[in-house]
Amino acid sequence: MSKAAAAQTQAPMSWFGLKWKRWRFYLSAFVLIAPLAYLPTYFEDLALERGDVGLGQRDIGEITAGPWSVRLAEWQIGAPEREGLAGYAKVFTLAQCRECIGQIKAIYMRVGEPRSLRTAGSLFAGSPYRQMAEVLIPEQASPEAQLWLTLEGWDGAVHQVRVPLSDASPSTVQWLKQRNRRP
Amino acid sequence: MTQAKKVSKSKLWFLVHSWLALPLWVFVFFVCVTGTIATVSQEIVWLANPAVRANAPSDDAQMLGYDAILEVIEREHPGAVVEFISRPVKSQFALTARVAYPDATEASLYVNPYTGQIQGSTSGFSFQQFMRALHGWLLVPFTEGFSLGWYIVAFLGIPMLASLVTGLVVYKRFWRGFLKPKLRLRQGGRVFWGDFHRLAGIWSIPFIAIIGVTSIWFLIQAVLFDNQISFSTFGVPPIVAREDIPVVAAGQPPPGITLDRAAQIAQQTFPDLEASFVSLPSNAYDHIRVGGRGAYPLLFETMSINPYTGVVEHTRRVSDRSTLELVTGSMRPLHTGDFAGTWLKLVYAFFGLLLSMMVFSGMLIWTKRTAKETVAEVKRRKSARAARAVVATEGGRSA
Repeated sequence: MSKAAAAQTQAPMSWFGLKWKRWRFYLSAFVLIAPLAYLPTYFEDLALERGDVGLGQRDIGEITAGPWSVRLAEWQIGAPEREGLAGYAKVFTLAQCRECIGQIKAIYMRVGEPRSLRTAGSLFAGSPYRQMAEVLIPEQASPEAQLWLTLEGWDGAVHQVRVPLSDASPSTVQWLKQRNRRP
Repeated sequence: MTQAKKVSKSKLWFLVHSWLALPLWVFVFFVCVTGTIATVSQEIVWLANPAVRANAPSDDAQMLGYDAILEVIEREHPGAVVEFISRPVKSQFALTARVAYPDATEASLYVNPYTGQIQGSTSGFSFQQFMRALHGWLLVPFTEGFSLGWYIVAFLGIPMLASLVTGLVVYKRFWRGFLKPKLRLRQGGRVFWGDFHRLAGIWSIPFIAIIGVTSIWFLIQAVLFDNQISFSTFGVPPIVAREDIPVVAAGQPPPGITLDRAAQIAQQTFPDLEASFVSLPSNAYDHIRVGGRGAYPLLFETMSINPYTGVVEHTRRVSDRSTLELVTGSMRPLHTGDFAGTWLKLVYAFFGLLLSMMVFSGMLIWTKRTAKETVAEVKRRKSARAARAVVATEGGRSA
């Protein structure tokens, strides 16, 4: 028996020491605070995904492009999220106008003016009632940058419209300003 | 000398074994219990909610095709857009159709595969997904990369595997337990729980090994993903070529193949594939994706069919995967046991329950032993105090 162990058996334990000895093994129960704390967030996320709170957390408004119009929204308020090697991205959602359904073939979105239809940006995916696109936000983009929305019809017609980033996502503009301030 | 060394070594292993789960036992117990419920959560919902059952009107009833199901949904829920249909093969479960409504909401409809009757729908909350989230990541949301909860839970794979190894080292000639099972019921709690812990342990060796190894894989998977390390051979996700998309006058529906035709093409392409889901194009450049389990039941095989031309443009079979992908891809189904039907889920649930009880019994054994120690400690304190009092009075007398 080591000296320390011998000393431990000889020295009588305090009341607190005894309690601690027994109860320290229940301490891991504190981890279970996490699911309790995140329960409201879980249901909020569920409501967002299901569309109970509308298109997204923040409505941007009705955007008209030629004969068509779409209702645009910011999926989640906050800074762009890191998507691995691809860089930072923001998710936007939109709903096509009732009359547009069946006329629009594809909708794309990117930061800055696209050079051609092939570089029109992220393609929206989902039902015409709520489709989503993950739009890359270049880290060096200006806070005054514009989002370009390109709508392509089944008949080949193309209509473009610009939305200031400050209208589309103030939180992204704030994020860009913070990044640009850094040396 | 060697005997003494041996004894001290096994004592050390025993100490390691008892310390592995002990400081974490409440948490480990929670993860084991929620995991057990999660394995059979679909069956629990089946028992609780008649809408998710697939009752055939007669023994020779035929399952409806995909187009018939789309028709029913359009009739009952005009304007709803079907995004995904999951159609269990030879199953007691109704098929599920995920639909989007004009008010931007989404729902899952339970459709009877024989009659086409829409039996019910989910209101967003899914018991299965909730149990999975509670067990797998403690509901901590995924924001950038894997959730912290995922890391914390997956980490438990390490003490679990180490408990198995040290347990077998400590349990001398454990294989004799298979031949002469011992479970003494009438010699007190400490003896019973000790016997139970050992007996359940040896019968659960493969199960604990599977759960331990797969959990450690979940940890590695998160680390790899969050550090952008990938060994996927999937390549660039396929998209429909611009030239294949027909130009039509405004308002005219673009010509394309029906879902029944897509199912037929899938059947002709891979006759041994049991298609269990079809994913409808999410935009004009997207394919119809059909998938299901093939000859190797743990992994899904999928194919992407051009919705305009009907050409199969991309396939992903078991044989397309690297050995590393086969092994790592098998980890999740091995962990959940959802690849062979209800019987395997029940086997998993049984061993999950046993494992939960092992964590609990391990704790009981320890507290019963500690309780004895505590009683001894209190006695020692009392006698020490008494002795001190005697010394003090004697000292006073002599002074």
